[in-house]
Amino acid sequence: MSVGTLVETEDRREYRATRRRGLAIDVGMAVATIMIALLVGFVVILATGHNPVEAYSAMLTGPLERSTRVGRWLEDATTLTLLGLSVAIPFRARQISLGAESQLYAGALAAGVVAIVVPMPPVVAVIVPVVAAMGAGAATGLVPGVMKARLGANEIVATLMLNAIAVRVFDYLVNGTLREPGSTAVHSASIQHDAALPSLREWFGVPLGRANIGLLLMLLTVVALWLLMTRTTIGYRIRMVGANQDFAEYGGIAVPRVIEWSFVIGGAVAGLAGAHLVLGGYGRLEPGLVGSLAFEGIVVALLARNNPLVVVVAGFFYSYLRVGGDIMEQQTDVGTEIVVVIQAVIVLLVTAQALPDLFKRRLVRTRVTR
Amino acid sequence: MNAVVGVVFSSAFLAAVMRVATPYLLAAFGGLIAERVGVSNIALEGQMLAAACTGALVAGHQGSVALGAVSGIAVAALLGLLLAALRLHLGADVIIAGIGLNLLASGGTAYAVFALLGDKGGTSGLQSGSLPRLHLWGVERIPVLGEILSGQNIVTYLAFLAAPVVAWLLYRTRFGFHLRAVGEAPDAARSVGIPVRRVQCLGLALSGALAGLAGVFLSMGYVSFFVRDMTAGRGFIALAAVFLGGLRPWGVFLAALAFGAAEALAVQVGTLDIPPQLVSTIPYVLTLGALATYAYRRRRRSNAEPSRA
Repeated sequence: MSVGTLVETEDRREYRATRRRGLAIDVGMAVATIMIALLVGFVVILATGHNPVEAYSAMLTGPLERSTRVGRWLEDATTLTLLGLSVAIPFRARQISLGAESQLYAGALAAGVVAIVVPMPPVVAVIVPVVAAMGAGAATGLVPGVMKARLGANEIVATLMLNAIAVRVFDYLVNGTLREPGSTAVHSASIQHDAALPSLREWFGVPLGRANIGLLLMLLTVVALWLLMTRTTIGYRIRMVGANQDFAEYGGIAVPRVIEWSFVIGGAVAGLAGAHLVLGGYGRLEPGLVGSLAFEGIVVALLARNNPLVVVVAGFFYSYLRVGGDIMEQQTDVGTEIVVVIQAVIVLLVTAQALPDLFKRRLVRTRVTR
Repeated sequence: MNAVVGVVFSSAFLAAVMRVATPYLLAAFGGLIAERVGVSNIALEGQMLAAACTGALVAGHQGSVALGAVSGIAVAALLGLLLAALRLHLGADVIIAGIGLNLLASGGTAYAVFALLGDKGGTSGLQSGSLPRLHLWGVERIPVLGEILSGQNIVTYLAFLAAPVVAWLLYRTRFGFHLRAVGEAPDAARSVGIPVRRVQCLGLALSGALAGLAGVFLSMGYVSFFVRDMTAGRGFIALAAVFLGGLRPWGVFLAALAFGAAEALAVQVGTLDIPPQLVSTIPYVLTLGALATYAYRRRRRSNAEPSRA
């Protein structure tokens, strides 16, 4: 064995140790962040004259008490994780795309229209709307992507404008062309039976609410995106552009194309989330079906620091709080909105980078002196 | 088509434009000041919402509309300061911090209303009153103009006055000069002794206060209650007006006015056979087009330099 390889193994071990330490610190930071945010919520509940222990025990144990609640958790986690993923990819290329909302609407619309209008045999009837939704989402993502990559237009403004347009067009279609004739409430006709994502209940034999195989689709997407980001050229390029755009360009990467790809991939995943909402949840198009989901997807991505594998954890964690918050409200009269407050505190703590850096520096210093 | 033209040139419509444009104008000027001091204020939406909620709650509990309005504006200004603190002292990403503040406002207001009043929807059960309308003596008697200009809410007049005031502030005062210097070249500003952080903090507080006035108008202008998430994306639209207006006071004024006009038009044509949702997309489509054109021209102009997307 030559000296070179010895040094190499030594280096590699050193590198791995550093990475492990970094990971441990990151996980520790995430846990600390969540703890602090929960503490803030605790104090707020106390200050508004409610019993925080009772409220928190309802919120934190409620979702697991019945299988239908677990189902609600799984369903919500599927949508939120997909949205988190859709945001994480452009964020990784350091593109601040706030366009998940428009992509979600586009996906929901495409999935809904295809699933309502086009008659198809089983299995195909699920696949085609899903693909249509991903295509619509990708196309919606491409618009701000091209504007940013080729023209240098501000992607924040472009995506916000597209959101405003998408909401209104969706609203118009659901109120007009697609509205089910004769119904008093505003919604479209139901999707065809074969187009619904098969429920998980048939597999596990327990009632799981609306949880469906979208969950498996989501997990597949997670793995696919993780592989894409870590094992493929385009993933490498996206990471390079995000890390240092000038250097990426100097290294021969076609930066505009990479930026466009990050938007398109993100858009396709958001479109998939839209398909899940329609084919797996509502079963038809309704006004306001997206709600504030898109911004919550941003939170999930932030909490996970844009790492696809961590996004799943963050998505499950966050939807657990959401479902728990609803249960807490039913049982203890504490508003479920406290969850949004907790979430906001998490975002602010995560983005206040000087805080963990101060903490990390301190850790490193103690290690050096020891 | 004639019906549409008839609507557009009616004095009721023009009065409605002034009313609808008010929150856009104020929030957009808030966004403009923040942008010029070099910190994007994505939190306009949340600041409006927090101010609207605080205003209605305080006015309802204390029985004083003025006190409500002042507390609303103060809360929004504090949120501006919080954004400044996060950005300047804790190294936060200003966009993400803004998103966080928006969430905080959305959750916090809904939670507060539910906790205090036990109502999920808003504060309609609370008698909070609204800010007075002004009847301009003299103007009122001018035939058509009087109907448009007189009898508007006091905040509407403030919003239209804000354009010359902000222009004067930015270009004619020492503070405005410092503000622009800090926004364009913080290091250079620091080197000539301008207190960069203090100017940024003040700028963001002012930005928040303007957004706060916009929010107060929503809950205490023509209605006298707060509704959950009543800003409905207006803060983001105002932000778009800032960019569409080319970061200049009068440009921003025109852009915000155009957004207001389009929304008023959408409401008015709702009675005709034209889908209001599609009419209300017009300003956003135009903004998107303007954004692309503007960026394209800027790119062509600076083609000699290496491109930085």
